[in-house]
Amino acid sequence: MQASRARLFKEYKDVQREKVADPDIQLVCDDANIFKWTALIKGPSETPYEGGVFQLAFAVPEQYPLQPPNVRFLTKIFHPNVHFKSGEICLDILKNAWSPAWTLQSVCRAIIALMAHPEPDSPLNCDSGNLLRSGDVRGFHSMARMYTRLAAMPKKG
Amino acid sequence: MENDKKPNNVVDDEMEKWDINLSIDVGEEWSNYRDDEVMQQHNAIQAVEAGKLPYVGDKEPLSALAAEYQSGSPVLLEKIKVLGQNYAAIRRTRGDGNCFFRCFMFSYLEHIMESQDKTEVDRIKENVEQCKKTLQGLGYADFTFEDFFTLFLDQVNDVLQGNETSISHDELVSRSRDQSVSDYVVMFFRFVTSGEIRRRSEFFEPFIMGLSNTTVEKFCKASVEPMGEESDHVHITALSDTLGVPIRVMYLDRSSSDSGTVSINHHDFIPAISDPPVATNSDSVSVVEPFITLLYRPGHYDILYPK
Repeated sequence: MQASRARLFKEYKDVQREKVADPDIQLVCDDANIFKWTALIKGPSETPYEGGVFQLAFAVPEQYPLQPPNVRFLTKIFHPNVHFKSGEICLDILKNAWSPAWTLQSVCRAIIALMAHPEPDSPLNCDSGNLLRSGDVRGFHSMARMYTRLAAMPKKG
Repeated sequence: MENDKKPNNVVDDEMEKWDINLSIDVGEEWSNYRDDEVMQQHNAIQAVEAGKLPYVGDKEPLSALAAEYQSGSPVLLEKIKVLGQNYAAIRRTRGDGNCFFRCFMFSYLEHIMESQDKTEVDRIKENVEQCKKTLQGLGYADFTFEDFFTLFLDQVNDVLQGNETSISHDELVSRSRDQSVSDYVVMFFRFVTSGEIRRRSEFFEPFIMGLSNTTVEKFCKASVEPMGEESDHVHITALSDTLGVPIRVMYLDRSSSDSGTVSINHHDFIPAISDPPVATNSDSVSVVEPFITLLYRPGHYDILYPK
């Protein structure tokens, strides 16, 4: 408990320093609870998520950093490796490939990389995975784009 | 701007027609979060395993090992007999994928405790300092690894007697069974092993390609740094090299030699002197006798005690 708190505090200070370095990620710690964080990440360019801003929720366990944080999307996203309803993310570093060498910040980077490079063979969103697996890239893009516009972009007008 | 706006409005209008629910349900959905269940189940299995054997077991006579194979392979029983000529006892470790590192941790700290070898402690501290620089050079942020380094160095200091923080052998055993110490030290070893492999990636690359057909970087991320990933020759070589600690591994398997005589294969991991001190008359290649001996049975390591 003490160890995880100390580590999170170091990450908090590092995030303050890195803010400028990584304009695509805005990681914020809950004022009252250092085990709760949220992040805003920018959809990577040249993907259907471009122009969108996606919110992530982090729940950090007491055994952190020996155990990975729980991370999920709060913003609706159409992606093969994100559960459409719960926002749960299928990413190896959040499961068995986790190590303390990762940080909340680098987890955000890994999620941005996952957005750009979906893994349709281990889908949490089967509709999305099936579109890609059947080679319907266009269908996938238009669905993903539609949800980006609906959920991840400010409404205009 | 104008072009951008239009499709959005179209989408918004469509949206209203369909009445799609865009909010992620935080409440109910979160509670049937499937990965949580997987993690819970995983933790439950670990708890059952923990009940069977702590991270590091008690020292047992070698006969306890033979007892395991009473109704088993005669080759193995013969080999255990041969093993008994030179080894007196075994200390088991839990088979949780960290057994090699856990064996190394206990064996090394116990050796320092018994030998009170301050020269060795000073030597390893220098190596640890070097490991830190290696990780920094590879781009690891200090805060990701420093807690693990500190905890390892604390243990090394604490097994030396005569300090305020000095610990007894019983305390060493109980710390090795305490996750908050034991797992942190294991993680320290994983960091320095990974650092060494990546620092000498050209050397390790062919071995890694042979093992898993992947890049050095991916291998370290997937098979060295995460807890619970089993160790192979690559890990042992890298750890032995980077800390400068020789390790002997005795192989207890069913293989038998053609000659009919039963013998036990072993391999000594002797640290490569990668940065030889400048201009020493190093032609006196001293025979290094490892003070750490592990027993390998396919998929698992335990600690062996010589007679």
